[in-house]
Amino acid sequence: MTRKTKLSFIAMAAAAALGMAGYAWAQAGDAALTAAIAAGQVGEQSDGYLGVAKPVGADVRAAVESLNIKRRAAYTDQAAKHGVALREWAATVGCQTLRGRVKPGQAYLLPDGVWRVKDSSPIALPANCG
Amino acid sequence: MSFVIEADDCERKTGLPMRGMRLIFCGGAVLLAGGCIQVKAPEKPIEINLNVNVKQEVVVRLQKDAQEFITENPELFPQ
Repeated sequence: MTRKTKLSFIAMAAAAALGMAGYAWAQAGDAALTAAIAAGQVGEQSDGYLGVAKPVGADVRAAVESLNIKRRAAYTDQAAKHGVALREWAATVGCQTLRGRVKPGQAYLLPDGVWRVKDSSPIALPANCG
Repeated sequence: MSFVIEADDCERKTGLPMRGMRLIFCGGAVLLAGGCIQVKAPEKPIEINLNVNVKQEVVVRLQKDAQEFITENPELFPQ
Protein backbone atom coordinates (compact mmCIF):
# COMPACT_ATOMS: atom_id res chain seq x y z
CA MET A 1 0.00 0.00 0.00
CA THR A 2 1.54 3.28 -1.04
CA ARG A 3 1.60 6.34 1.11
CA LYS A 4 -0.83 8.11 -1.22
CA THR A 5 -3.37 5.29 -0.95
CA LYS A 6 -3.09 5.29 2.84
CA LEU A 7 -3.74 9.03 2.95
CA SER A 8 -6.80 8.76 0.78
CA PHE A 9 -8.16 5.96 3.00
CA ILE A 10 -7.70 8.15 6.05
CA ALA A 11 -9.44 11.06 4.31
CA MET A 12 -12.39 8.86 3.33
CA ALA A 13 -12.74 7.50 6.85
CA ALA A 14 -12.64 11.01 8.29
CA ALA A 15 -15.31 12.21 5.86
CA ALA A 16 -17.54 9.25 6.70
CA ALA A 17 -17.13 9.87 10.42
CA LEU A 18 -17.99 13.56 10.01
CA GLY A 19 -21.03 12.71 7.92
CA MET A 20 -22.27 10.22 10.48
CA ALA A 21 -21.70 12.68 13.32
CA GLY A 22 -23.65 15.34 11.43
CA TYR A 23 -26.46 12.90 10.73
CA ALA A 24 -26.56 11.80 14.37
CA TRP A 25 -26.65 15.45 15.48
CA ALA A 26 -29.54 16.20 13.13
CA GLN A 27 -31.39 13.10 14.34
CA ALA A 28 -30.91 14.15 17.96
CA GLY A 29 -32.29 17.61 17.13
CA ASP A 30 -35.30 16.06 15.41
CA ALA A 31 -35.96 13.78 18.37
CA ALA A 32 -35.76 16.74 20.78
CA LEU A 33 -38.12 18.70 18.53
CA THR A 34 -40.65 15.85 18.37
CA ALA A 35 -40.52 15.53 22.15
CA ALA A 36 -41.02 19.28 22.58
CA ILE A 37 -44.05 19.21 20.25
CA ALA A 38 -45.55 16.28 22.17
CA ALA A 39 -44.98 18.17 25.43
CA GLY A 40 -46.74 21.29 24.13
CA GLN A 41 -43.57 23.40 24.30
CA VAL A 42 -43.39 23.86 20.54
CA GLY A 43 -46.44 24.11 18.34
CA GLU A 44 -47.99 25.04 15.02
CA GLN A 45 -48.91 28.65 14.28
CA SER A 46 -51.76 29.85 12.10
CA ASP A 47 -49.18 31.58 9.87
CA GLY A 48 -47.86 28.18 8.75
CA TYR A 49 -44.68 28.06 10.82
CA LEU A 50 -43.62 26.38 14.04
CA GLY A 51 -43.30 28.47 17.17
CA VAL A 52 -42.03 28.18 20.72
CA ALA A 53 -44.86 28.24 23.25
CA LYS A 54 -42.84 27.60 26.41
CA PRO A 55 -39.16 28.00 27.31
CA VAL A 56 -37.04 25.35 25.58
CA GLY A 57 -33.37 24.46 25.27
CA ALA A 58 -31.06 25.88 22.64
CA ASP A 59 -31.11 22.60 20.68
CA VAL A 60 -34.90 22.68 20.33
CA ARG A 61 -34.90 26.37 19.45
CA ALA A 62 -32.29 25.71 16.75
CA ALA A 63 -34.35 22.81 15.40
CA VAL A 64 -37.46 25.03 15.19
CA GLU A 65 -35.55 27.73 13.33
CA SER A 66 -33.97 25.22 10.99
CA LEU A 67 -37.31 23.63 10.17
CA ASN A 68 -38.93 27.01 9.59
CA ILE A 69 -36.19 27.93 7.11
CA LYS A 70 -36.89 24.68 5.24
CA ARG A 71 -40.62 25.38 5.32
CA ARG A 72 -40.14 28.91 4.01
CA ALA A 73 -38.04 27.60 1.12
CA ALA A 74 -40.70 25.03 0.21
CA TYR A 75 -43.51 27.59 0.69
CA THR A 76 -41.74 30.07 -1.61
CA ASP A 77 -41.64 27.41 -4.31
CA GLN A 78 -45.31 26.46 -3.84
CA ALA A 79 -46.50 30.08 -3.67
CA ALA A 80 -44.84 30.77 -7.02
CA LYS A 81 -46.39 27.64 -8.54
CA HIS A 82 -49.85 28.68 -7.38
CA GLY A 83 -49.40 32.35 -8.22
CA VAL A 84 -50.04 33.61 -4.69
CA ALA A 85 -48.01 35.48 -2.09
CA LEU A 86 -45.71 33.50 0.21
CA ARG A 87 -47.74 34.70 3.21
CA GLU A 88 -50.96 33.44 1.62
CA TRP A 89 -49.62 29.96 0.86
CA ALA A 90 -48.09 29.74 4.35
CA ALA A 91 -51.40 30.73 5.98
CA THR A 92 -53.25 28.13 3.89
CA VAL A 93 -50.87 25.45 5.15
CA GLY A 94 -51.35 26.87 8.66
CA CYS A 95 -55.12 26.33 8.36
CA GLN A 96 -54.52 22.71 7.40
CA THR A 97 -52.03 21.97 10.19
CA LEU A 98 -54.41 23.46 12.77
CA ARG A 99 -57.31 21.57 11.20
CA GLY A 100 -55.71 18.14 11.07
CA ARG A 101 -52.21 17.74 12.49
CA VAL A 102 -52.30 19.27 15.96
CA LYS A 103 -53.16 16.53 18.45
CA PRO A 104 -54.77 16.88 21.89
CA GLY A 105 -52.22 18.11 24.41
CA GLN A 106 -50.19 19.96 21.78
CA ALA A 107 -49.85 23.74 21.64
CA TYR A 108 -51.04 26.00 18.81
CA LEU A 109 -51.04 29.73 18.13
CA LEU A 110 -53.93 31.70 16.61
CA PRO A 111 -53.66 35.18 15.03
CA ASP A 112 -54.63 36.72 18.40
CA GLY A 113 -51.14 35.82 19.65
CA VAL A 114 -52.35 33.50 22.44
CA TRP A 115 -50.87 30.00 22.74
CA ARG A 116 -53.53 27.42 23.55
CA VAL A 117 -53.45 23.69 24.15
CA LYS A 118 -55.60 21.50 21.93
CA ASP A 119 -58.27 19.49 23.71
CA SER A 120 -60.61 16.87 22.23
CA SER A 121 -62.72 19.45 20.34
CA PRO A 122 -61.64 20.90 16.97
CA ILE A 123 -59.62 24.12 16.99
CA ALA A 124 -61.65 27.29 16.35
CA LEU A 125 -59.94 28.20 13.09
CA PRO A 126 -59.30 31.79 11.97
CA ALA A 127 -62.09 33.24 9.79
CA ASN A 128 -59.95 33.23 6.66
CA CYS A 129 -59.54 29.45 6.81
CA GLY A 130 -63.02 29.28 5.27
CA MET B 1 -76.86 68.26 -33.13
CA SER B 2 -77.87 64.69 -33.53
CA PHE B 3 -77.63 64.17 -29.74
CA VAL B 4 -80.19 66.92 -29.11
CA ILE B 5 -82.59 65.32 -31.51
CA GLU B 6 -82.15 61.94 -29.81
CA ALA B 7 -82.58 63.42 -26.32
CA ASP B 8 -85.75 65.17 -27.38
CA ASP B 9 -86.97 61.94 -28.81
CA CYS B 10 -86.30 60.14 -25.53
CA GLU B 11 -87.98 62.86 -23.48
CA ARG B 12 -91.06 62.64 -25.58
CA LYS B 13 -91.23 58.87 -25.26
CA THR B 14 -90.70 58.61 -21.48
CA GLY B 15 -92.22 61.89 -20.40
CA LEU B 16 -89.25 62.40 -18.02
CA PRO B 17 -87.43 65.72 -17.83
CA MET B 18 -83.65 65.56 -18.40
CA ARG B 19 -82.35 67.02 -15.14
CA GLY B 20 -80.75 66.38 -11.76
CA MET B 21 -78.63 63.31 -10.99
CA ARG B 22 -80.62 61.08 -13.33
CA LEU B 23 -78.51 59.85 -16.17
CA ILE B 24 -80.37 58.93 -19.29
CA PHE B 25 -78.49 57.38 -22.14
CA CYS B 26 -80.23 57.10 -25.42
CA GLY B 27 -77.91 55.47 -27.90
CA GLY B 28 -78.67 55.42 -31.57
CA ALA B 29 -78.97 51.63 -31.60
CA VAL B 30 -81.31 51.68 -28.63
CA LEU B 31 -83.45 54.33 -30.29
CA LEU B 32 -83.70 52.15 -33.35
CA ALA B 33 -85.07 49.40 -31.11
CA GLY B 34 -87.49 51.88 -29.64
CA GLY B 35 -86.07 51.66 -26.07
CA CYS B 36 -84.39 53.96 -23.56
CA ILE B 37 -81.98 52.90 -20.80
CA GLN B 38 -81.54 54.71 -17.49
CA VAL B 39 -78.38 54.30 -15.44
CA LYS B 40 -78.30 55.49 -11.84
CA ALA B 41 -75.15 55.99 -9.82
CA PRO B 42 -75.24 54.10 -6.46
CA GLU B 43 -76.20 56.30 -3.54
CA LYS B 44 -73.87 54.66 -0.99
CA PRO B 45 -70.15 54.10 -1.42
CA ILE B 46 -69.28 50.44 -1.93
CA GLU B 47 -67.17 49.08 0.93
CA ILE B 48 -65.13 45.92 0.46
CA ASN B 49 -62.62 44.61 2.95
CA LEU B 50 -60.17 43.36 0.35
CA ASN B 51 -57.58 42.18 2.84
CA VAL B 52 -59.80 39.53 4.41
CA ASN B 53 -61.92 38.60 1.41
CA VAL B 54 -59.09 38.01 -1.02
CA LYS B 55 -57.20 35.98 1.51
CA GLN B 56 -60.11 33.75 2.37
CA GLU B 57 -60.78 33.20 -1.33
CA VAL B 58 -57.14 32.19 -1.78
CA VAL B 59 -57.14 29.92 1.25
CA VAL B 60 -60.30 28.09 0.21
CA ARG B 61 -59.03 27.67 -3.36
CA LEU B 62 -55.66 26.26 -2.22
CA GLN B 63 -56.85 24.08 0.66
CA LYS B 64 -56.64 20.79 -1.20
CA ASP B 65 -53.21 21.55 -2.64
CA ALA B 66 -51.94 22.59 0.81
CA GLN B 67 -53.15 19.31 2.32
CA GLU B 68 -51.39 17.35 -0.42
CA PHE B 69 -48.24 19.41 0.14
CA ILE B 70 -48.26 18.48 3.85
CA THR B 71 -48.82 14.80 3.10
CA GLU B 72 -46.02 14.77 0.53
CA ASN B 73 -43.54 16.56 2.83
CA PRO B 74 -43.96 14.86 6.22
CA GLU B 75 -40.38 15.76 7.23
CA LEU B 76 -41.44 19.43 7.30
CA PHE B 77 -44.35 18.67 9.63
CA PRO B 78 -43.20 16.56 12.57
CA GLN B 79 -45.90 15.49 15.00
